[in-house]
Amino acid sequence: MSTALILTLVVAGAWLAAHVASEWLARRFLIISGAEYLVLGLLLGPRVGGFIDTSAVDAFTPLMILSLGWVGTMIGAQFPLAQLTRVPAALFRVGFGQALLTFLLVGGFALALLLGIAEIPIGEALLPSLALGAIGTASTPAGIGAAAATLRARGALVRQIEVATGVDALVAVVLFGLSTAVLNTAAVMAPRPPTPTEWGVIAIAIGVLSGILFHLFIGEEEQVDRLFIAMGGAVLLASGAAAHLGLSPLLPAALIGGILVNSARNAAAIRQVLIALERPLYFVLLIFAGAAWDPGIPGIGWVLILLFVPFRMLTRIVSARAAARLAGEQEALGPSWGRALVGQGGLAIAIGLNFALIAPGPVSGSVFTAAIVSVLFTDVFSARLTRTVLRNGGGGPA
Amino acid sequence: MRRTLILLILLAGVQIVLTFGGGGEKSETLLALGFLILAAYTVGEIVARFRLPKLVGYLLAGTLFGPYLLGTVSERAAAGLEPVSTLAIALIAFLAGAELRWEEVRDRGGAFLRILSVEMGLTFVVLTGLFLASARFIPFLAGADPRMILAAALLFGALGIVHSPAVTLALMSETGARGPVARTTLGVVLLSDVVVVIFFSLVFAVARGLVPPAGELQAGGMGALVWEISGALLVGTLLGAVVALYLRFVRQELMLFAVLIAFFGIEIAYWAGTEKLLTLLTAGFVAENVSQREDGEALRHAMERSAAPVFVVFFALSGARIDPWLVAASIGIVIPMVVARIGSIWAGTQFGARWARVGAMERRHVWTGLVAQAGVAIGLANLVSEAWPAFGGELQSIVLAMIAVNQLLGPILYRRALGSAGEVVGSAPAP
Repeated sequence: MSTALILTLVVAGAWLAAHVASEWLARRFLIISGAEYLVLGLLLGPRVGGFIDTSAVDAFTPLMILSLGWVGTMIGAQFPLAQLTRVPAALFRVGFGQALLTFLLVGGFALALLLGIAEIPIGEALLPSLALGAIGTASTPAGIGAAAATLRARGALVRQIEVATGVDALVAVVLFGLSTAVLNTAAVMAPRPPTPTEWGVIAIAIGVLSGILFHLFIGEEEQVDRLFIAMGGAVLLASGAAAHLGLSPLLPAALIGGILVNSARNAAAIRQVLIALERPLYFVLLIFAGAAWDPGIPGIGWVLILLFVPFRMLTRIVSARAAARLAGEQEALGPSWGRALVGQGGLAIAIGLNFALIAPGPVSGSVFTAAIVSVLFTDVFSARLTRTVLRNGGGGPA
Repeated sequence: MRRTLILLILLAGVQIVLTFGGGGEKSETLLALGFLILAAYTVGEIVARFRLPKLVGYLLAGTLFGPYLLGTVSERAAAGLEPVSTLAIALIAFLAGAELRWEEVRDRGGAFLRILSVEMGLTFVVLTGLFLASARFIPFLAGADPRMILAAALLFGALGIVHSPAVTLALMSETGARGPVARTTLGVVLLSDVVVVIFFSLVFAVARGLVPPAGELQAGGMGALVWEISGALLVGTLLGAVVALYLRFVRQELMLFAVLIAFFGIEIAYWAGTEKLLTLLTAGFVAENVSQREDGEALRHAMERSAAPVFVVFFALSGARIDPWLVAASIGIVIPMVVARIGSIWAGTQFGARWARVGAMERRHVWTGLVAQAGVAIGLANLVSEAWPAFGGELQSIVLAMIAVNQLLGPILYRRALGSAGEVVGSAPAP
């Protein structure tokens, strides 16, 4: 029996089982997570079960890159400016404040750990630290929907959490994308390597040009099937171009998403197309992310991870409190509203996997493992934490 | 103007990235895939303005941007996209099977068989005879052993009767045609897929008797052939039943499920040694006819959605395999063969349609849907080349050149026919 056949049978059967199990878990214990697919990938991968070997993982790299691109596009598409202008500015001040503070604190802490404990030179420690900062900033909105529905909550607090998770995703993607661009060391066939600024411009240009191209391509088309082809082509093109230049596809793809929802007349149809493929590609991403797992630096790497996870959780709460206080919103949000941002979700995995693909090695393995551990740990109780925050923090009906 | 601008931006952007980027094969493949989808689709829209089928545009885009001309899609990238082609063939076959209703097969299967038998028989005889008659003008056969000439002629004739379900289905999808001409053509083309496998295996065996193959490939015996066909029906039925059960009791993530079924079907056919297209065709047929109507429609819609970009790339990659220099070099031999083939398809279809007593529109137009050739014919030509290295390569070159011309002509003729028959959604029949 061919490897591909075994792989299809195992993945299909296991996906079905995980899907049924996760729905039961969500109903019974309010555990909202994609982590089960991640665990599935880990179990099937070469490090554990061995059903998916390293060559199969390698062969699916293009699909993983496409999935990353799709994640990025979905994030960019969450920011239609026409709707965002109706959101009170205070929510954005708090959102950006806590996101940037989290990034700086988590990234700084990660740098200190890598320099101090792992004794890695600063030149090699900078990018992994920034990646961990971005991973730490990512939060998931998955819990808010379920918890708010349970409590029938719909107040300022719910709105703030929703805005904050969106801003977290944007900040994580932009800062990670720019970090990998500016610190890009990929070889290029040019008379001289691009400067960090030029790399940053290139990363942004890929996204902007792809968005313009898509815009030209689609015109005023409303037919969903054609939009689907165009979206697929644009995301593939941008993701492939970024990967070929050693860049992250997340930032260019996010720019595509942002340009589309803000310039296309058929933004609603575009969002429909994005949502249609979100779940299948998300599953593929999580399964192969799990299969692609590399434990990273032996011994000391696990110390880093075990310190990173609780520090990140604490930072979320502290940053949220500080941002609310600075914006004068602490009374409306309560002191512990940051607990609703503890959950990580798939974006953290996406960033970790992307980093492992861009800069393979033991350090990126530890970064990726940190993302996996953090997601697996926090997603189990993130929805419950959110529910507690809403129950205690005045998130009553509007 | 807009479309030209799109092509220019695409071309410039991709060339810059490919020139300066140091990424490996995987990223190049991904870039090529994105490029092909957008570029081929754009060229498809350009040719549509000239009332040509879009898939001709996809083919032309593949040829233009492929390794033999501009080289934007390198040979390495095209090879890396083979899994996409395989997936496309699987989706096409499943969708084709799902298009057929049991009532139609029961009521009209006999008619399809009559049309097909006359058309294929006449085409085979004409092409084989013409090849034999022109053997002295074909360089690699000049002074060759008569047994080799006869073997080459028989193989050429067998390759000439292959049709293309992919083109038929793609045009039905593009035009929305579901009338008698479209459905009769689809039925004949799908049936020909089964008949071609049997017929080609018989011809292969005869050719092998005339000129024992020197290559490593050894075609299986009669037992293997019987299993290839009957096993495909059996395995396809089981797969179709599984699909129907899934639609009945789960019915979730249909797009992902559609891709998995296509991928899984190809793999299981390969493992079981059954004919791949027939396996998936049968699976589609069973799934559609056993499921509840709305379940079947939901899956078909999900498959069509995931197949849309895949079709574009499939035909673009088919175009990328066309070597225009090879076609130009063989044009003196190929043009008469193409004309003879089209003529015998037309004549055979006329006689077969009269025998089958089908309607006048079908008698007039169905033949146009039988002209196109694509992946199946290329695959069989590769088999010949591997089995007879002495002359198979040259024969393959002529066949590929002929396929290239048919691949471009066929969709144009069929599209016009569907328009004349009034089966294109939004059109009226020609007087």
